[in-house]
Amino acid sequence: MSNKPVYDRTHHAKMATGIGDPQCFKGKAGNAKFKEGDRVRIKDLPDLFYTRTMTYTRGAVGTIVRLVYESPAAEDEAFGNEDHPEWFYSIVFSQKELWPEYSDSFGNDTLETEIPERYLESA
Amino acid sequence: MSSSTREEVLRHIDTVGLMQPALHKQTHAPSPTQIDHTLYRAYTRTPHDVGGEPDVPIVWHEKEEEIWELNTFATCECLAWRGVWTAEERRRKQNVDVGQTQYLGLPYYGRWLMTAARILVDKQYVTLTELVNKIDELKQRAKSGQSLGEYSPAKTK
Repeated sequence: MSNKPVYDRTHHAKMATGIGDPQCFKGKAGNAKFKEGDRVRIKDLPDLFYTRTMTYTRGAVGTIVRLVYESPAAEDEAFGNEDHPEWFYSIVFSQKELWPEYSDSFGNDTLETEIPERYLESA
Repeated sequence: MSSSTREEVLRHIDTVGLMQPALHKQTHAPSPTQIDHTLYRAYTRTPHDVGGEPDVPIVWHEKEEEIWELNTFATCECLAWRGVWTAEERRRKQNVDVGQTQYLGLPYYGRWLMTAARILVDKQYVTLTELVNKIDELKQRAKSGQSLGEYSPAKTK
């Protein structure tokens, strides 16, 4: 017999079966640090190995429009770590905040995206 | 303050745009002093994070999905249903772990298929030896004109 370690490769599937993902993480992230309407700046954390927080949002300031769900951040989930779910926020940025050369003719354009709590600081 | 962050981020986006794999120019392991922070960050970024990167326009091709592409997608979904990976693990493997050359150079579903094989090896469902032997066996079978036994859906009217 082999003495190789045996991982529970299906632990995430067991968690989500019949409930769904991210629903299976509901109530597991604790209190949300931010609320709708808060102005937040996106932290420029190291973008090494995996992230879904687009580089072009980093250092930019946006407004939280919704708390969307609780889930492990992509940095954890992409390596099978589901022990620390956190709040995800839908954040609206002005396009002019993101792109310096963005035309004034479209000055009211916005971009909305979802970002986990670890990337946010009050602005 | 983060104005220096914004400057770094925008410089970064300009730099990665210059990092299309260039087959005509060999690079050799550079000395550490040749890699400043800007280059380090550009090299180690996750290659799927292309938003804002300067690039030439991509030509739009209307392309029907092929049977092997649909089979690949179904296989990957089955791997998720059976708990072998989450969508996030799959995306990491197919969009980031492959590196920029494969990310930009291989067809979309080619990366899905490579990744399905890779997760089975990484999580020890099959050994690389078994996989290599199987590929070799199928190559021999194809060479002798035999069917590979691949699934094709019944023709609809």
